[in-house]
Amino acid sequence: VVQVVEPAVSKAKFEAEVEEFRALEAEYRAKGWILLEAKFPEVLLMAVATKVTPPPVIFGALFDFTNYDADPPSLNLVNPFTREPYLAGELPTGLNRGVAAEVPPGMPTPPIQMKMNQPLMQAAQPDEVPFLCLAGVREYHVHPGHSGDSWELHRASGAGKLIRLLEILHRYGVEPLQGYGVELVPKVGLQYGEAPE
Amino acid sequence: MQAAAKDEHGGGNKIDITVIVNGTPTHVEANLNAPLKTVIPKALEQTGNTGQPVENWELRDARGVELPLENKIRDLNFEPGVQLFLNLKAGVGG
Repeated sequence: VVQVVEPAVSKAKFEAEVEEFRALEAEYRAKGWILLEAKFPEVLLMAVATKVTPPPVIFGALFDFTNYDADPPSLNLVNPFTREPYLAGELPTGLNRGVAAEVPPGMPTPPIQMKMNQPLMQAAQPDEVPFLCLAGVREYHVHPGHSGDSWELHRASGAGKLIRLLEILHRYGVEPLQGYGVELVPKVGLQYGEAPE
Repeated sequence: MQAAAKDEHGGGNKIDITVIVNGTPTHVEANLNAPLKTVIPKALEQTGNTGQPVENWELRDARGVELPLENKIRDLNFEPGVQLFLNLKAGVGG
């Protein structure tokens, strides 16, 4: 993406976003956000699940504030050590949100409201780089499926602010983690002794 | 950065709460007998966040726990120095 907004403007707004994070850095670190790099136009943070022992690194979040805030920031979930974006099939989390499951027409309404997981990270194929399907993120607003939901409708509400997006990532990607999942798959086979002569 | 119950210091049923709105701190003076949701419009107005209705925001404590907006502020027993975090909800995904 080419910087077409006056660079000093975007840089000042970028620095304000980073400064807001730094002003509360201890609080965000306690939640598991570690700021790794902040050099215009990019910010790289690492998400750690602090309530799990030992705390695992879940993902990196790479923001690009080029043309901010005439344009929303770009956001990719990345390997925090290499900065490589995860492909959809590699994502450590799809940022699932629980939504009410729709009852097919003609079916009786179940007595209990059923829920289903709706991933906020979207991609058409497992080998694509997924995007966060959320107003306030550049990849959302440039997607042809969202041409009716312009960035201008969200710009003034702070939808693209660094802190807001970190809160969303944390809520759906880190907060629901309860611990390590271990899957043991016993394998049963015939075991022979020494072969007869 | 502090929440101080003013009724203990002659200030009536008032409390100062620091609300961090999308990362921007602001001090809100609230009535201890009012529901917690009353701090939201004040915090949004003071930070210039007028583009989204109140119901599109959520209020959490420092641990990330969503707070009961209908509860009286007094009943939530906020510690001095408490910070509350007000952020836009995710909205409709997909």
